[in-house]
Amino acid sequence: MLPRAWSSPERKRRLRVTHEGVLLLLLALEIGVFSELGTNFLSTANAFEIVRFSVEIGLLAVAMTPVIVTGGIDLSAGSLLGLSAVLFGKMWRDGGLPTSAAALCTVGIGAMAGGVNALLITRLRIAPLIVTLGSFSLFRGLAEGLTGGVDNFTGFPENFLFLGQGYLLGGIPAQTPLFVAAAAGIWLLLHWTTIGRGLYALGLSPDGARHAGIPVDRRVGLVYVLSGAFAAVAAVIYVARLGQAKADAGTGYELMAITAVVLGGTSIFGGRGHVLGTLLGLFAIAVLQNGLRLADLPAELAGILVGLLLLGALSANQLLSVMGVNKS
Amino acid sequence: MSGRYQREWSVAVAYGVLLGTLAIAAPAFYTGDKVRTILVGSAPVLVAAVGMTAVIVTRQIDISIGSQFSICGVAAGLLAQAGVPMPVVMLGSLLLGAGLGAVNGVLVAGLGLPSIVVTLATMVTLREGLRWYQQGEFVRNLPPSFQWFGLGQSAGQWLIIAAALGIWLVGTWGLRYVAGGRAFYAVGSDLEAARLVGIRPRRIVFAVFLLMGVLTGLAALLHATRFADVDPNAGLGLELQVIAAVVVGGTAISGGRGTLAGTLIGVALLATIGPALVFLGTEAHWEKAIQGTIILVAVAADTFPGKRRRHAPTSLVKP
Repeated sequence: MLPRAWSSPERKRRLRVTHEGVLLLLLALEIGVFSELGTNFLSTANAFEIVRFSVEIGLLAVAMTPVIVTGGIDLSAGSLLGLSAVLFGKMWRDGGLPTSAAALCTVGIGAMAGGVNALLITRLRIAPLIVTLGSFSLFRGLAEGLTGGVDNFTGFPENFLFLGQGYLLGGIPAQTPLFVAAAAGIWLLLHWTTIGRGLYALGLSPDGARHAGIPVDRRVGLVYVLSGAFAAVAAVIYVARLGQAKADAGTGYELMAITAVVLGGTSIFGGRGHVLGTLLGLFAIAVLQNGLRLADLPAELAGILVGLLLLGALSANQLLSVMGVNKS
Repeated sequence: MSGRYQREWSVAVAYGVLLGTLAIAAPAFYTGDKVRTILVGSAPVLVAAVGMTAVIVTRQIDISIGSQFSICGVAAGLLAQAGVPMPVVMLGSLLLGAGLGAVNGVLVAGLGLPSIVVTLATMVTLREGLRWYQQGEFVRNLPPSFQWFGLGQSAGQWLIIAAALGIWLVGTWGLRYVAGGRAFYAVGSDLEAARLVGIRPRRIVFAVFLLMGVLTGLAALLHATRFADVDPNAGLGLELQVIAAVVVGGTAISGGRGTLAGTLIGVALLATIGPALVFLGTEAHWEKAIQGTIILVAVAADTFPGKRRRHAPTSLVKP
């Protein structure tokens, strides 16, 4: 007879390696290493700087999570950020709207642009990768066309720039509450509502979800509209942080957001994933970039390490599931 | 004919209309060396698109080719700068491409990881690795044997065009009549069925990434030799440009379907639209928006005439 602990379910449970747990360890490791190597790394001011720089990609990433959970993808998010930034600048400077009204309109337009993706995917039955590859070009192209490729919107009022550059009580960057609220909103939607459960069902098996009575088209539409609206919010914050809006705003952000989501443990095939994982993935990347800069190490190392981490995380997951440690 | 190759025909007709419009509204487009410039410029894209067609037909995707392209171009430049004879430089670029493709192949076929994530990771790693190594510096002071392969501009241009068309022809024949080429379709349309008829899917998937790497190395060479210096950012965004051309040409992202004839027209259409707009009096910075519209219209037109599937494709990997 083997000792009970050898074969009991408890032992299995103790062996279970959660993705979030590994990411937390990684984050702790990064913080430990860079506190030694970096100058002024371990301070609340620097922690807040990291948050400030991750908000825009973070918004894209938390909205990308439900999209990937349904088994889809949104390659157009970064381009839509650029288009929204340009539209925001145009409405404020040329349309004479106050920044608050322009921001609201921008978010509305972002949601509609997401709706265009959603319509093409649900009505014309085109694969999300293709639809958003097309709108990736279209949105960036519209931004370039509208600005003639050179127009740059600057000179925004102080009270608007506060949103991207200012500090609240206790040195908290002004955009933090918005990001926390947005992430919490997606977290609630995905993990605490029947709609969220439906999205997982949809990602595991669209047909199964349909037979279970889930309105598949409406749910798919919802995630792309949300992704569009979040990209527009990210655009407004981006403009407020940098004080300028150009057509190339947010180039490549979609891939960084997807990287954060996948590093966070969301399956690219859909049906599995967590917003907390996405946030951990996001900060694992952000801390790495910030720490390397403060330690005077080459910035390119961040990209190299993130790529290797991504491969490592995937391979580890694969090996663990082959060995039967993590049955998910 | 038109049933099976409907997409190829409709894109060909669209391209014909564009060329016809240009002939009537802006005949100046066909004078001078405008057409040749477009052909030379799109030759590397065509070579990469031949590989990408095979990759997508096999139901995989490779978004790391832009980074591979930059690396192979820079490596060719550095080798030439070091005084290595041109044939060895060419061989080096192809071998390096093969090596990079093999890395993707091992990760996808060997470990069974999803290709979109694997190539996303290798894309970032390779791009940043090159940036670290090269610091964005152009490779300058190349020997005269490098640009246009030392043949002079005119002959060099024709050589590049001929090489790309040669690859396309061999690819068309190979995908259609060679057992290995048919195996890409078999694995892409039904992996399990392919296994049952004796195909080894892992080998085929590895082979397609290897092929993609070699063709990317060649494409990089055809691009780099057009200039006096090598730009380390030459491949930025190439992957989505190539995938768009392949998809416009009618290759199904769900695998198992696609022809190189369609890919050729897709590459030509997307390469012509920019210069054509200028000749038709539109401002050049609308090019990307029009390209995006073309991609969406091309894939939407496919599904319109009474062929709509009943349910939405929610997955990016399944149809």
